[in-house]
Amino acid sequence: MTSTTEERLSVAAQSRELGASDPAWLARLRGEAARLADTLDWPDSYQSRPWKYCNARGIDLARYPAEHDEGIAVEAPEGVTVTTLGFAEGATDERLAAALGTAVAPGTDRFTALHYALIRDGLIVDVPANTEAASPVRIRRTVSGQQFAAPHTVIVTGPNSRVTVVEEYSSDGADILAVPVAEVFPGPGSEVRYYVVHRWGPSTRSFGYQRMLGAERDATFQNLQLVLSGRVVKGQLESSLLGRGAASELLGLAYGCGEEYVDFFTLQDHIGPDTRSDLLYKAALRDAARSVYYGLTRVGLEAKNADANQENRNLLLSKTARADSDPVLEILTSNVIRASHGATAGPVDEEQLFYLQTRGIPRPAAEAMLVWAFLEEVIGRVPDAALREELLGLLDAKVRGA
Amino acid sequence: MTALLEIRDLRAAIGEKEILKGLNLTINAGEVHAIMGPNGSGKSTLANVLMGNPAYQVTGGDILFKGESVLDLSPDERARRGLFLAFQYPVPIPGVTLVNFLRQAVNAVRGEEVPIREFREKLFSKMELLKVDPDFARRYVNDGFSGGEKKRAEMLQMAVLEPAMAILDETDSGLDIDALRTVAEAVNKLMNPSMGLLLITHYQRLLNYIRPQFVHVLVDGRIARSGGPELAEYLEARGYDEFLAELARA
Repeated sequence: MTSTTEERLSVAAQSRELGASDPAWLARLRGEAARLADTLDWPDSYQSRPWKYCNARGIDLARYPAEHDEGIAVEAPEGVTVTTLGFAEGATDERLAAALGTAVAPGTDRFTALHYALIRDGLIVDVPANTEAASPVRIRRTVSGQQFAAPHTVIVTGPNSRVTVVEEYSSDGADILAVPVAEVFPGPGSEVRYYVVHRWGPSTRSFGYQRMLGAERDATFQNLQLVLSGRVVKGQLESSLLGRGAASELLGLAYGCGEEYVDFFTLQDHIGPDTRSDLLYKAALRDAARSVYYGLTRVGLEAKNADANQENRNLLLSKTARADSDPVLEILTSNVIRASHGATAGPVDEEQLFYLQTRGIPRPAAEAMLVWAFLEEVIGRVPDAALREELLGLLDAKVRGA
Repeated sequence: MTALLEIRDLRAAIGEKEILKGLNLTINAGEVHAIMGPNGSGKSTLANVLMGNPAYQVTGGDILFKGESVLDLSPDERARRGLFLAFQYPVPIPGVTLVNFLRQAVNAVRGEEVPIREFREKLFSKMELLKVDPDFARRYVNDGFSGGEKKRAEMLQMAVLEPAMAILDETDSGLDIDALRTVAEAVNKLMNPSMGLLLITHYQRLLNYIRPQFVHVLVDGRIARSGGPELAEYLEARGYDEFLAELARA
């Protein structure tokens, strides 16, 4: 099903309205995206592997006006510029103009096309060369009321700088369609840590896109997707390792209950030599919660000495919980240090439970200990102790409330 | 006087396979018993069944602890009543530190929150007794432990939990002679007149360090012979094959 005439007119009109005061470069991007949104289909479960378990075709776009009732709160340490689209000035504006839409292309699929056609509150985190941000950049986005939301975050760092960005998404109980996009451009020798906390409302469906474009030498990226709530939280995350020595660590953690559905597609794309990537995605699922993981590690012809690892672990805490896991390796050079992957899905280990019980710990408490140990491992990879405690606190609240 | 542990005509199976075929054994407070037996005689099954491992089914008989049947009790209820099993193969639990685990275990067994200071003092004195490094407590339970470290960790748990009845399943396996001596010394110090001890072992070696008053030989799911410490020496001298042949002739 392509878009209906009604939808088409509505997207074009809303796009024009939102873009009334766009600078020329943004107007071009928006206009092209609006045209793409018109011609592209929703991703197809049969033709697009990342959409195998998630059917987008039933989405009725007319129900989601691009109202953009989105609250944004930002805290930034000294030396780091954080500006919203339309307010960027000078060099930051130039960087934004050069970066926006280049890592995650508008034409990726219909969701990204709609995202760029209807973009408004784009944020750029601009870190100058040789800057070590003293504290994390905090971005809190809150979406209220039925709508199509298109939050966009661009992170650009100069050479040899370090920054941590914590972005939190939340929404109210309304029927919300969110398409968050993040584009990360680490400079040479710089390090970006980007932690995303999903605290969507119970009726929000989020289809997110993220790409780290590691074009520069020795760029390092660490990402965490912490999924605490949302009706559907789907993410398509890519790390493109082009620069020599570029490295990416992708972490994901979901604690699902009720009918929550979490679905991630990841791509660890080794293109340049001496590149490293690691991935650890875990989900613990209660009730009828469901997790889907499909991940590709690709090692290209020029990616000599690549070191890649990919692990997906799922803990099924009820008979009706379900996890689908499919890690895939695609290696085109024989000159790799490591290319490994693994996937598991199963209930809490009976032998471990028995062992804990023989020490007097009742079964529910023993199970809780094992679940916590399973989850904690992922957040344990966050190097900053204070942030780690904060993230564990959020996770603990979800686990206790479930 | 009620026996501390009384096993009556115990029968147990894994799946369709019956392993314990009518086992009788009585242990009073203050007694040390050893069960020896060849591989496959049911030694580890007995340990697991006493502790209530759900992987085994009790098909007959009874287990009385302090005069009451424990068959309907979960493993944690049995532990809270004072039963303890030192595992032959302690299970690694990545992500759970030994100190956190022991604190939860002590609280559960005591049925109350033990003040952290009191707990730490106890833990460190017992660690000294077992000659383990203070860093040990911060490691994940049995995760990446050497064979000797695993067995010491089991003894540390026993020392901290102070059970009324401890079952030591092949505690000597995987220990070198120094570690064996340390572990045995600790067990001897922990043993007291109100406590019972059941040593399950394939070899006589452990019994040189922890002296049992009673030795039982388990063959094909039953106690084939009981005696004093001399029975262990007799077995060691003859070997299980000859002992089994002798039983067959009798």
